[in-house]
Parts: sequence; structure tokens; C-alpha cells
Amino acid sequence: MNPTYVRIELFRQSRDVGNLMFTVLMPVVMYLLFGNMFGGGGEPAGNGNVKFYVMSSMAAYGAALATTSIAGTASTEAMLGWGRQIALTRIKPSGFVASKLAVAMIVATGCAGLVFAVGAGTGARADAPWVWTASFLLTVLGCGIFALYGMGIGMAFKSETALGVASGGMVFFAFFGNVFMPLSGTMLEIARFTPMYGYAGLVRYPLTEGFGAGEGAGTDSPGLLVANLVAWTLLFALFALWAVRRSRARR
Amino acid sequence: MKTTTARQSASSGAAQPHATALELQGVRKSFHTHEGRFEAVAGIDLRVGTGEIVAFLGPNGAGKTTTIDMMLGLTAPTSGTISVFGKAPREAIEAGEISAVLQTGGLLRDLTVRETVTAIAALHGARDRIDTVMERTDILSLAKRKVSKCSGGEQQRLKFALALLPDPRLLILDEPTAGMDVSARRSFWDTMRQDALAGRTVLFATHYLEEAQDFAERTVLIGAGRVLADGPTAQLREMTGGRVVGATLPRGRPTEPAVAALQALERVAAVQLNGNRVTVTGPDSDAAARMLLNELGATDLEITSPTLEAAFMALTGEDS
Repeated sequence: MNPTYVRIELFRQSRDVGNLMFTVLMPVVMYLLFGNMFGGGGEPAGNGNVKFYVMSSMAAYGAALATTSIAGTASTEAMLGWGRQIALTRIKPSGFVASKLAVAMIVATGCAGLVFAVGAGTGARADAPWVWTASFLLTVLGCGIFALYGMGIGMAFKSETALGVASGGMVFFAFFGNVFMPLSGTMLEIARFTPMYGYAGLVRYPLTEGFGAGEGAGTDSPGLLVANLVAWTLLFALFALWAVRRSRARR
Repeated sequence: MKTTTARQSASSGAAQPHATALELQGVRKSFHTHEGRFEAVAGIDLRVGTGEIVAFLGPNGAGKTTTIDMMLGLTAPTSGTISVFGKAPREAIEAGEISAVLQTGGLLRDLTVRETVTAIAALHGARDRIDTVMERTDILSLAKRKVSKCSGGEQQRLKFALALLPDPRLLILDEPTAGMDVSARRSFWDTMRQDALAGRTVLFATHYLEEAQDFAERTVLIGAGRVLADGPTAQLREMTGGRVVGATLPRGRPTEPAVAALQALERVAAVQLNGNRVTVTGPDSDAAARMLLNELGATDLEITSPTLEAAFMALTGEDS
């Protein structure tokens, strides 16, 4: 990892206003909308209130979206020939990927931090400070798996459009991952197998301790949530590996 | 077709190359495509001595970029070995001994010029050279400009600056002036030349024949993944049959005896007649010119050297 490179890359991302609006502001706006939808959001829920539930969900969505889109740029850059330019320097490919991941995680942290800050200022409450800390840390650490997803999509399809589709796909994953709205019934049964379910469930675990918010949702054990996260991490890793191999073979 | 004689004379030129900067031995590279196996590089042997300026000349699809990618360790050869100052290409990159200006593209459009140089300098561990290379390539005045706002020539100068960051001993340029206008091309090469004089070894790929003619002492002609010819650029032209002497024979006199007399000259390869205009091809242009002017009373005499393009056509067996 190279600190100067990370710094320049962060400057570069901060100038991409369109992307920033999409990844940083949208989760905040959605929190403000959804958080006030259910009777003001002040009702208690688990170890806090409904607003905390919505806030942590939206922070998870924003962080995952940020890592997807930034990690994905690593592959479109490779396509533009920047990857070749990098390959002519001393840095190893793993070092470059690590730098890119650092950028993605920093932006994701900022993104989640903003949602948490707005939440704290607009009535999201938890019973104890550790709920805040744990939820935030899980958001930031867990979003890394979506970097694999973004990189894989970018490498496999090699176009900016594909990256747009990957980011758009996150809306779908978030909806079916029980992130935007509490699901119930068959939808919830399907949701348990989608990539964001385990991640979002873990982010909310300090608050809900696994209790589902939807009607008759029951309780998810941390084991089930971790299993979902691990399974999808493996799947995305295999996908990214396959995409990298395929693009190498084509050269 | 391979000219070993040209290779020998390359090393007997004025600038005797000493140590080996770059050596390729039996290098091949094949790809799997939908139509089966495709051999992009079909066995290349090449040795470049330190301080040489070598043009790598060939049409698109000749295997130039693939060969260069292998020299830089960007792709591995299917078989054969490549050494750069006695090291494997990737080791030479890590030691900062070899560097390259790659073909068009390869820059991030939304970075500024200075950010681009700083980012790559950081990855090289050469941040102390940022101002030196920017001054050298005349891009200090563009420092705050976005790459997307730079002209093609300015972008190539920026890439040249990036290539100079590790202070390489061997510099490889892959069609560095593609898409530049004439004046941009000239100023690029002016900078390049000053740099080459500083003792760097330079190998550049081009399909601009005049670039090889103007800037390289030695030209390696490459086609269909093979070395077709390798020798001093000037000699390469002569290999294709010397010069062409053209003249107009006087009207009102029979042309057959004149043609016969010209054909009787030693070392004449061909005599062609088109109306009263006669062209004589051969290495001894002086004798033909003397006969045309003195004995045959010809006018409008013209002596031309074949272009490298003609040389290329002759060697690849393609019709011009």
C-alpha cells in the first residue's frame, strides 16, 4: 500500500461529484425518508429505537455501494491502460489492490460516518454507547466483501456501463437483502440467501440481537448471518478470481 | 528471410556498442483465439547494446507491441528468454533500469498533470525526481491542468515524464508519436534526442518510416512476428537495390540503343522506359548518370533513394 497514491486517489474521488451524490448523499436522504415513515421512528426497537434500525441499514447500504463502485474503478482503469502504467512501477499488483481497497474503505467509512452523524443528530437512539460502536465497526469492516463484487464485475465486463449496472444491482441486493424495508413471508425466505442479508443483519445485530422487524420474521442467529456473509465472500472471491484469470488469458 | 550480414555490420558501426542492454533469444508468444492458436511473435532474436538507438519498425499487427510487452514483463513469453541488463524484465522494472512510454491511453483523465506524476513517482519511490522530469519534458506549465484537457502531444510528453521517473538506463517507446501533428512530433523527438545523448539506450516502435530514418542509427524490421532485417538504417535502404536514376532521353533519336547501352553498364539492376523517360535502378548511380548526361544527351536528371517503405515492401515481398 502506498500512502501518497491513496491520498491522490482520495482527492480524485472527492472531485467525482456525481458519484459522491449517489453514494454519500443518497443513503442519508433515504435514512431521513424511511426513518420518519414508521410513525416518526421514535418507538423503541431492541436496544434502541426504529430510527437507529433505519440508520444502521442505510449506512450499510451506503458503505457497500461505495466499496462496490470504487473497487470497480480498479478494473476499468486497468482497461484504460492505467493498469499497464502501474505495472511499470515497483509496486506489486497486490500492493496496488491494497491501495485501492484502502481508498474504498476510507470512502465507505466516511459515508457510513455521515449517516451515523445525521442519525445521532435527528433522534436515532441506542441504549448503550457500545451499540453505536459495534454497529459502526461492523458496517465498515463488512462492506469489504462488496469490493470483491465490484472488482469482479468490472474485470468480467470491462466497461463503465457494467460498473453502473453493478452499482444499480446494489439497490436490488439491498431491497432483497432486507435492508430498505423489513420483509416478511416468502420474500424474507428468499432474502436470507441474498448477499446483503448477512451483512445488514450483522450491522443491526447489536440493536436487534437477531429479531426480525417484519411480521412473523422470527430471530436470526448470529451463526446464520455469519454463514451468509462467509458464503457470499467466497462466491464473490471466486467470481473475482475467475474474472481476473479470464482477462489475463485474453491478453 | 533474415540478414545476418546486416547484423554484423551493425556492430562495426561508428558507435561500438559495449555491454548488452537487452537480449531476446528465441522469443515466441502465442494466444488462443476463437480460430485457434495464433502466433503473434514467431521467434525473435535480438541484442541491443548500451547507448544504441534502435527503431523497431513494422506495420500494425507485426507483433511489435506484444514483443515490447514481453520486454517489460507485462506478459510472459510462451517460450524463449528475455534479459534486461542481465536480469529478468520484472526485476529490471523493480530496479528502475527499464522504463517505457506506452501506446496512446494509459492515463487517468480526471487527474491533473502534477497529480499523475506524483502518483507514479510515489509508486516508484522517486518523489525527489518529480520536478526534474517535469522540467525535462516541458510540462511544468501544465502542472495544474487536467489530463483530459491536454492535447495528444502534451499527454505523450506527460507519459514521457512518467517513463523518466526511475531514471532508466533503457527506455522503450511504443509508437510514442501516434496521433501527433508534425510539429508536436518534431518537438517530442528533439526532447528525446537530448535525453538519448545522456547515455540512455533507446528502443522505439514505430510505423512512421521517416521516424526510423531520422532518429535511429539501427532499424529492426519486423513483420508477421519475425525479424525480417536488422542493420544500420542507411544500409537497410541500400539493400533494396540502391538508387534510382531518372532522365528524359532527347526526342527524335531512337531509344533502343540508349537502353541497350544502359543495360550494358555494370551493376545495373533494371532499366525501364516510359515514353522518353528512362529509369535506371542499381547501386552505381554515378555511372548511369554520367552516361545519360555525357553520351546520351539526356535532360531532367533525377537521382532518388528508395524510401524505407520501398525497402519494407521489398523485404516483406509485398507489392508497393
